[in-house]
Amino acid sequence: MHLVIINGAARPQSRSNTAKIIAAFRMGYEESGSTSEVWHLSDRAQWAGAAQAFAASDNILIALPLYVENVPGILLEFLAGLEPKTTPGTQIAFLVQGGFPEASQSRCCEKYLEKLPELLGCAYAGTLIKGDMFGLRLMDEKEGQELLRPFTRMGRHFADTHRFEKETVAAFAGPEYLSAKECRMFRLFGRPVQRLFMGRMAKKLGCTGPLDARPYSTGN
Amino acid sequence: MSLLIVNTLPEDRAREAVRSLTARSAHSRVIHTGPLNIHPCVGCNFCWLKTPGRCSIQDGYEELLKAYLTYDAAIFLAGTALDFVDHRMKDLVDRLLPLATMYTHIVDGQCRHVPRYEKKYRFGLLYDGEADRDYLDLWMDRVMLNLGGVSLGAYPMEQAKEAFPCTL
Repeated sequence: MHLVIINGAARPQSRSNTAKIIAAFRMGYEESGSTSEVWHLSDRAQWAGAAQAFAASDNILIALPLYVENVPGILLEFLAGLEPKTTPGTQIAFLVQGGFPEASQSRCCEKYLEKLPELLGCAYAGTLIKGDMFGLRLMDEKEGQELLRPFTRMGRHFADTHRFEKETVAAFAGPEYLSAKECRMFRLFGRPVQRLFMGRMAKKLGCTGPLDARPYSTGN
Repeated sequence: MSLLIVNTLPEDRAREAVRSLTARSAHSRVIHTGPLNIHPCVGCNFCWLKTPGRCSIQDGYEELLKAYLTYDAAIFLAGTALDFVDHRMKDLVDRLLPLATMYTHIVDGQCRHVPRYEKKYRFGLLYDGEADRDYLDLWMDRVMLNLGGVSLGAYPMEQAKEAFPCTL
């Protein structure tokens, strides 16, 4: 079965965590002979092709980074410009990846995605959620592969079932909330560890000031 | 209470609502986002890691960031699409990131970014068009949770005169 994948990330493909996740997912999806194609919305030159692929396909996966509790603005802009389908038979599944570790962070977005396909004349085929993905593009290849391997497994699963069932997603998504022990550890060590690692990242990018600078402070 | 009105709609569509809101506040300012040519967030994270607190996109958004910090409350006037706010409004919200730092902490059992400024933001939404109001209320609550602020709720545009009763 052929799958049209739309990458709704705003970040260019070469630096997109979502693009890396899609690549891992496709490996699993195509293992047993299914095929797929990917459209990256960060490149506006691909929008017309992506819209045509949406219209022509009955099997669609939209992958996105969680942006302030919902889809990124550019994905919303693209979707709002689509012509809703008038004949039944198309399904849309979603893959949401976020920076925070808890699955609960993506539930507000998931609630919206559950009804979005119907507004586009399509059926809903589930949402795969995964948090703790911020560091993906900063990892070396080996570490990155470790983090991406579960997505290849889910690609295999999707090729078999054509949907993300709630139980499968819950097991994949990881903890809904951090445990009391994790919260305690975070309170104890989170700040110094963050200052160390984020400081290094910032330095690499050429940042010279403090990460908690207040450039527009009004005395508040 | 000073009030910032951020209008993402064509000015003629928002005129009546703007009039209603300004009449209910002793000190208000209206920013129409159309001329500011606001772009979508590109996910570069420079506002966290390279130029902390400043967005890398050179458009009119900086004016909004400063205004959010200046006024006691902000009301957004937005269009709708697919039962939600339209992309113009979502782009504004996606670009609130510089108001938070990259550092995280735990608030009520969930990770949150540490706010950059000591400010209790109060943001509300007036929407023009079809949308799921219950969902918009939920979404606004979550947006404000991320900023360490408070949502004033989501109201359809035709309720502009009586919307946000506890604030205006």
